[in-house]
Amino acid sequence: MAQQATETEFTLDTAAELAAHEEPEAIRGRSPWYLAWRRLRRNYVAFFFLFVFIVVVVACAFAPVYAKHVAGTGPNTNHILENVKVNGKETPVVSSGGYIDPHTGKLCPTSQSGCKLVASIPIGPTWFGAGGKFVLGADQNGRDIAVRLLYGGRTSLFIGIFSSAICVFFAVILALVAAYYGGWADFTITRFFDVMFAFPVILLGIALGSALAINGFHHFGINIQSGSIWIPTLIISYVLVPYIGRPLRGQVLSLREKEFVEASISQGASPLRVMFIELLPNIASSVIVFFTLIIANNILLETALSFLGAGVQPPTASWGTMIADGQNLIVTRPWLSFAPGLAIIITVVSLNVFGDGLRDALDPRAKVKVSH
Amino acid sequence: MDTGTDYLDPGLSYTVEGWGVMWNVYLPLLGYKHVNGPDGATIVPYLAQDLPKVSSDGKTYTLTLRKGVKYSDGTAVKASDFKASIERDFKIDSPGVGFFGNIVGASEFAKTKTGSISGITADDSTGVITIKLSAPQGDFDNILATEFAALLPSSTPAKDQSTTPAPSTGPYMLQSYTPNKSIVEVRNPNFDASLYGGNVPQGNPDKVVWDVIGDDNVALQRTISGQDQWSSYHPIPPDRLAEVQSKYADQIKLFTPANTYYFFMNTRVAPFNNLKVRQAVNYAINREALVRVYGGLATTTENVLPPTYPQYKKLNLYPYNLAKAKALIAASGDKGMPVTVWNHDRGLDPRTTAYLVPVLNSIGLKAKEKIVNAAVYWTTIGNQATKAQIGFADWFQDYPHPLDWFDVLLNGERITQTHNNNYANFDDASVNSQIDSLKKEPVLDNAANARWATVDKEVMQQAPWAPFLNRQLTDFFYSNVDLSCYVNHVLYEFDYSTICVK
Repeated sequence: MAQQATETEFTLDTAAELAAHEEPEAIRGRSPWYLAWRRLRRNYVAFFFLFVFIVVVVACAFAPVYAKHVAGTGPNTNHILENVKVNGKETPVVSSGGYIDPHTGKLCPTSQSGCKLVASIPIGPTWFGAGGKFVLGADQNGRDIAVRLLYGGRTSLFIGIFSSAICVFFAVILALVAAYYGGWADFTITRFFDVMFAFPVILLGIALGSALAINGFHHFGINIQSGSIWIPTLIISYVLVPYIGRPLRGQVLSLREKEFVEASISQGASPLRVMFIELLPNIASSVIVFFTLIIANNILLETALSFLGAGVQPPTASWGTMIADGQNLIVTRPWLSFAPGLAIIITVVSLNVFGDGLRDALDPRAKVKVSH
Repeated sequence: MDTGTDYLDPGLSYTVEGWGVMWNVYLPLLGYKHVNGPDGATIVPYLAQDLPKVSSDGKTYTLTLRKGVKYSDGTAVKASDFKASIERDFKIDSPGVGFFGNIVGASEFAKTKTGSISGITADDSTGVITIKLSAPQGDFDNILATEFAALLPSSTPAKDQSTTPAPSTGPYMLQSYTPNKSIVEVRNPNFDASLYGGNVPQGNPDKVVWDVIGDDNVALQRTISGQDQWSSYHPIPPDRLAEVQSKYADQIKLFTPANTYYFFMNTRVAPFNNLKVRQAVNYAINREALVRVYGGLATTTENVLPPTYPQYKKLNLYPYNLAKAKALIAASGDKGMPVTVWNHDRGLDPRTTAYLVPVLNSIGLKAKEKIVNAAVYWTTIGNQATKAQIGFADWFQDYPHPLDWFDVLLNGERITQTHNNNYANFDDASVNSQIDSLKKEPVLDNAANARWATVDKEVMQQAPWAPFLNRQLTDFFYSNVDLSCYVNHVLYEFDYSTICVK
């Protein structure tokens, strides 16, 4: 009951309830999309997180502008031997390692007596003490972390969004074909889903990522060089197809028995027309919600694969590769890993909360969720 | 222990970690003194009674097996086990078979893998082993001291025995090995150090357990806390050197093994079949920057040979000059040529190519990086089918002799289709003939050393490599380890058999 009350507050206002609040002269037919929009716009939390997500996307989209006009460096440019002025003081981007004379501060050629061993540590966050350079510090190669964070966001968001689109596209096609035709088509497609379900997603992703890391993908007329971000994009979309396809197939199976489908068929509609004109619009809300939720899921999966070396290939920045890069410096320069970690949390939480709001608005009774 | 152990089969292992574990387990006929410093390069008899008697033409080596030596399972070591062990190397496609190619009949055996190598004869009744070579070979004593020449029982199956360890001859035996998890060694109950005249120690620890850890920071922390007593093969992370030294100065040991870190450039593949491009890469890299990537614990180099070698003569052919590099690329006609830069994913090494890729782009090439799992990296770039253009490589000596560098890594006559160590596919007739000629020199006197220095220079004038540094490494121990017993061997690094606790 408590849950129902909450849902009513934001979403469970039916067309009749909405109509009851309208002036008599304003009563008119409302489309499901309009009703969904009415529900969604009352969900301020979802809107706030949509705004957060848009901010992240815009920030990442403007990464080249930031890199050129503020930081003055590219995402892969090394500054190992350079200095930067921080609050007026010359500071090495990567401090000297090896042996150093404690009196003169100069490097000793070897471990001669009197020389001390010193560490090689990249500069920490300068915030705004260096005129926009190295705002979040540098990594061991002297690369600007803030610049890489924004470029890494472009990579992670690209993979998240495009892999979701590809995944949902194929899942919809397979679900419609399996549920509409049934029989051998359904058997083949559902067994394919079963086989895919048998592999843990991460392990399957690692296996495919490692296999394609050396030579890329050159089959079926598709040529993708290794190192391309289309490799992790396609891997992620492939491994998650059954997680979207199976619940959609269930929905289509249910719709397939409805009268309006029978009516359409009896009037001579072709299978394609039934699938895409009659059935697809009736699962559109679920598809949209799946798409939104799976973007967050795919960003996390990209991060995991890249961290394990099976996703985005260096030196291309992604939030996953950045966490892996920062792993060795976690004690002295935790920001190297924390910054991309924080970016992932903000992006994923904002997408999930907005996705939940969208689900509640489009279909309050739906139990759409992405889990594997 | 880091994750670098490839095999624990003496016929297959070809890593510092694998040999570091096994040199106290599987003994060859000859070996090295268990001492610190340059004296550790001295060859002494292990399972052989004496150093080999070499015929006047330098082509016949005669050795006699020590009497009374046994394997860890109690069976007697036989002279014929040596012959069987070398033949087994060929049967299992050992990466070390190239070392034995000069033995009479070895090349035929390599093709057929049936019958036997005619150039090796062994008499079990007398223990006499005779090896006939096709041509004199100055480093053959060193070859006999490699793990590839370690004796295993004749009945040892011709397949990887890493996880089902073969009986051993050294002071320790492998009790178990779980790849990527742990190695357990215990004393060999049938080992008697008194038989070896002090050349092989009895060993101090009763049991040695190696836990495989992937991360340098974790390994350091485990050693600080006493969970481990040695942070084996894990250098102290560059960012923590000062902190660790200030707190645990007495527990750190620094050492400089004979090594060279370099970028290979495949001379068979464009654009690196062009001398100007190879020279441009040498001019374009700022070696000081790469030293800093390794925390400053390294020295820059442009030589093939490391500075610890008496044949080393410092080269300064390619001072950092980005403008000259750009001009060379422009003159080469290969501007804009796509280049794939190869590297593995372990330790600090990936940072070198993260540095190299933007450098190559800045001089006019179109570079991208390809990172491969460390477990398959060397076999991948050592396969001609890969056609790896340029990439990271390093070399730690197998034995202290210039042949281990020039003959193994840069002799065009030793280029192979797979398991190729000459990643640059460098094949220069003049250099090849000089290597072949120097190979016959029985001793490394001043004249021979000078000739090797010339080879070093001639190779680098052709620039198949862009060498950049010789690395220093660290050993870190828990506070209860008594470092007065510490031995760092010139070849095998830390000698765990000699260590003691307070």
